[in-house]
Amino acid sequence: MGGKVTCTLGEVKNRADFIVFWGGNPAECHPRHFTKYSLMPKGKHVPNGRKDRTVVLVDIRETKSVKAADIFLQVRPGKDFEVLTILRALIKDQAVDPRQVAETGLTLEQLTDLVARMKRAKFGVMFFGMGLSMTRGKHMNSAALLTLAAEMNAFTKFVAMPMRGHGNVTGADVVMRWQTGYPFGINFSRGYPRYNPGEFSTVDLLVRGDADAALILGADPGATMPQPAIDHLARIPTIVLDPKVTHTSRLARVHITTAVTGISAPGTGYRMDEVPIPLRPALKSPYPTDEEVIRRIHEAVCAKPDWIHANGQYTTNQV
Amino acid sequence: MSAIVLRLKDRPAVPLEAEVISPDLLAEMPHADIRAQAVYLGKRRLRLDDLFEVEGERSDQVEVHGDLGQVKWLGRGMSRGSLVVHGNAGMHLGAYMRGGRIEVHGSAGDWLGAEMKNGQIRVQGDAGGQVGAAYRGSLSGMRDGTILIGGSAGLEVGMRMRRGTIVIGGRARDFAGLQMKGGTLVLLGGAEIRAGAWMVRGTIISLQPLTLLPTFTYACRYNPDFLRLYSRFLAPLGIELPVAAQQGSYALYSGDASVPGKGEILVWQPV
Amino acid sequence: MIRITGGKVYDPANGINGQVRDICLAGGKVVADVDGGRTIDATGLVIMPGGVDIHTHVAGGSINFARAMTPEDHRRAVAFIRSQSRRAGLGGMAPTTFATGYLYAGMGWTTVNEAAVPILSAKHTHEELRDVPIVDKSCLVLMANNEIVLDLLQAGELERARHVVAWQIWASKAYGVKAVNPGGVAAWKWGQDAKQLSDPIAGYHTLTPGAIIKGLAQIVDELGLPHPLHLHCNNLGAPGNVTTTLESMKALEGHRAHMAHLQYHAYGGDDWSTMRSETVQLAEYFNAHPNLTTDAGAVLFGDTVTITADGPWQHLLYKLTGRKWGNLDVENETGCGIVPYSYRPSNLVNAVQWAAGLELLLLIDDPWRVFLTTDHPNGACFWRYPEIIQLLMRNDFRRECLASITPKARKAIKLPELDREYSLYEIAIITSAGPARALGLKEKGQLGVGADADLVIYHDDPDVLRMFSHPRYVLKAGEIVVEDGDIRATPEGREFLIKPAYDEGIENFLRPLFEDQYTMSFENYPVEVQRIEHPEIRDCMGTE
Ligand SMILES: [Zn+2]
Repeated sequence: MGGKVTCTLGEVKNRADFIVFWGGNPAECHPRHFTKYSLMPKGKHVPNGRKDRTVVLVDIRETKSVKAADIFLQVRPGKDFEVLTILRALIKDQAVDPRQVAETGLTLEQLTDLVARMKRAKFGVMFFGMGLSMTRGKHMNSAALLTLAAEMNAFTKFVAMPMRGHGNVTGADVVMRWQTGYPFGINFSRGYPRYNPGEFSTVDLLVRGDADAALILGADPGATMPQPAIDHLARIPTIVLDPKVTHTSRLARVHITTAVTGISAPGTGYRMDEVPIPLRPALKSPYPTDEEVIRRIHEAVCAKPDWIHANGQYTTNQV
Repeated sequence: MSAIVLRLKDRPAVPLEAEVISPDLLAEMPHADIRAQAVYLGKRRLRLDDLFEVEGERSDQVEVHGDLGQVKWLGRGMSRGSLVVHGNAGMHLGAYMRGGRIEVHGSAGDWLGAEMKNGQIRVQGDAGGQVGAAYRGSLSGMRDGTILIGGSAGLEVGMRMRRGTIVIGGRARDFAGLQMKGGTLVLLGGAEIRAGAWMVRGTIISLQPLTLLPTFTYACRYNPDFLRLYSRFLAPLGIELPVAAQQGSYALYSGDASVPGKGEILVWQPV
Repeated sequence: MIRITGGKVYDPANGINGQVRDICLAGGKVVADVDGGRTIDATGLVIMPGGVDIHTHVAGGSINFARAMTPEDHRRAVAFIRSQSRRAGLGGMAPTTFATGYLYAGMGWTTVNEAAVPILSAKHTHEELRDVPIVDKSCLVLMANNEIVLDLLQAGELERARHVVAWQIWASKAYGVKAVNPGGVAAWKWGQDAKQLSDPIAGYHTLTPGAIIKGLAQIVDELGLPHPLHLHCNNLGAPGNVTTTLESMKALEGHRAHMAHLQYHAYGGDDWSTMRSETVQLAEYFNAHPNLTTDAGAVLFGDTVTITADGPWQHLLYKLTGRKWGNLDVENETGCGIVPYSYRPSNLVNAVQWAAGLELLLLIDDPWRVFLTTDHPNGACFWRYPEIIQLLMRNDFRRECLASITPKARKAIKLPELDREYSLYEIAIITSAGPARALGLKEKGQLGVGADADLVIYHDDPDVLRMFSHPRYVLKAGEIVVEDGDIRATPEGREFLIKPAYDEGIENFLRPLFEDQYTMSFENYPVEVQRIEHPEIRDCMGTE
């Protein structure tokens, strides 16, 4: 079943001698990544910094990140899953048909060479971005890469990590997990948490029109989601908490202006490797924090009569 | 014993969860109790008769009428009797089912027959994704039983299925037979890409050409004996597999080498 | 104010063994008398101090990783339904935070010690602990693979290492020091392990696991921490590891130490097929060395998820089970591995593990030195403790269970020869009075005047499992929090911290090292005390 084998970014800085970026463009999207963690820094066990590291970039097009890489592998669009699956076979010395490999845009020689280098590495790391996780195959593409990294540990040390977006996405994921057991796509309508991406994830709910109200916090779905989802947000009562005017706030029934987290509101940010960083406010804001607004809404909701009418405090038979 | 008949009054605006609509739960109930059963409209708990006209009592034959595309968990975990839906059915139809029969005269949503242990589900129209699949994180999908879909199906059909049969009349989308561990998946109308990805064991039979992953290896072309037996099992269900050598033969591929797995994919090659 | 009358009290710390006494509670404490207030008639009921879990994993990066990996278990778990006063949550192998508080309190446990916290993510652990309601909490910081400390130990700079350790305890807002697989996790970062106590560790010239154990035990003693060095030995789970465990204990002579989940370190044999229990040898040594305490780390048959800072062990387990595997290496400090696992009575290794945990509890004479744990969730989930109590109190039940394990295991274990049955008094020691004493929490685990008003009232039920699974009442800080299985109140618990003395100048030594090796700014590294909900800073020994 594979798994998820990862580390904090300091391990990459101190140890990684083989680094793969897959479906991401860190040079432009995570500009400090190269200098702070992955490429340039001299680490405890890679004293010469960049010279001690081999860098591979896998993407469907040439981006600015290519210049930073030693090896660039250009995959045909929509073939990431195929390439990763071939690599899983190759590391186990399984035969793969070279003609079919060619359809991925890469040659068997290129992939065999990559596998040899991966196995020679002392500490390999694979970073992956939205170019992998948001294209055809989606979660299975991420699963393919995570499984490959896990399986590489039969030969040498290997880890994998998603390059996540900004705005404390990781923090939301971490907190939801400790409070509900699940990272996202959680439904509370039966009084306890349930999880089913595709059924309960926000974008699917909105596209199907399953929700009759929306409270949006720390996101601008009006700018990023598909049009049917945006249309539904405009149809239903939508409440937005945001320091600034956004695409979503424009279509919302209610926009509550809040203080900017990290600048004028304290809290914790979780880095992409789930390391918590304290956020200390530098400025005072005339606006309430997100936390304060949510707390007050929550208090008002708690004052309402119970609508769940459960028989007992718990159930041993979830639906 | 006449059937219990439920008629949906209006299509609900938000999803309705009605796992109580299952022969096991209703079979011993007097009429008044059936009407009072709890269903969940969004976060609100309501009575069954708030949403359905209810007729009959004490029967394991349940009929439901109306557009139930927003109604989830029909026949959840049922073990006997029959559930007939005249209209569409929502997600999770017959999930965890252990026996009995479900018939849908319409289409059905995602997760139909997910993790079912036995029984039969037949859908005349299309099905959503994850037919007979494992829920997220589970090691196995359907353990046994039969799922027949007349039309097309969505993503990840038969994901991690361990035993049993799924037949898709139309075309299946990506990842049909994903991580399959056993059982048989019949694709009468073929499938989009990545059929059989990461399969460990089990059999996929396609009557249309498939684009396979490079980690599947062509083995041979033949007319296997087991298919002759299998087609005899499928015939009473109204499904015909070509088996005669004069009509053509099957190309056998094995994989997925990335696992490495011993799954088999048979692709029909007419003469 | 509450007066509890007529109950049979088991309060071993005060030598009370089932005598009927009134207990009065006021201001969150046990008091000599109260005037007015509520009276609970406990006639015919059994009263014990609230349970204290000395070694559990309920909060922080690792258990949260385990939660992410096991949605299939969440779906079959007990689900707590939201109400105006209670939060929703899930039980199961890796319960959610709110559910953790409800489940512990529901069973009569009122204090828990989270046993593995990396400094780097300590903020995360404390944020989770804040969301664990009702119980009081403390945590142990992971040290035996911290590279700054290891470098100092290798250089023989024990004095400076002591200041660093003290600084790190306060930086992580911990209560004590945990050493996991000394040197082995650091070696794992190169895909290796540290199996021999006297062999240099991968990546080091002269430093050995044995030297780390000795050095840390000495530092913990010199700092006067109320809880001794909490040691998870090298070679966890491996056949024949009893040699390593005995060597580790010998290395600790002259120091206090707590041997964590001893069951996992009590095996003989050369491989999986010849593995056997070596608890007799271990208990014999242990009984003769009062400088040591231990917890069982007992195993129960069934599904769980194993989670430990012992990365190499987890990779092995993944290879053995072929199931899911999670691993997280934490820069310069530690790592953790996660593998879902099922213990089966038909499996020789699992049967030996099951027996060994019980054997240790039965073979160690002094209940004040061996405590009930399952190393939750590794051996079993904490909410299954009543099953272990039943096994300890009922020899006939034990025999029934023995009949269901694989016959191959019979000659590999000692359990069939052990007839000892625990009394309620002894149960109160291993679940409460003993662990409280070992943690140095004087007002826990007892019901004398001045103690915390944390107690549990059970039905005096011959069905031990039912008795301990369904307390009649549970009181925390003098408030009824559980009544007949229902949560009545969800007060916030406190967190116990230690601020050992250190030279403030040590930061000048640490800062450049930190900036060189870590990836966050030094200022962001320590947990600010304002981030702890209800902190209670405790004294080191000898400073009172
Ligand atoms: Zn532990």
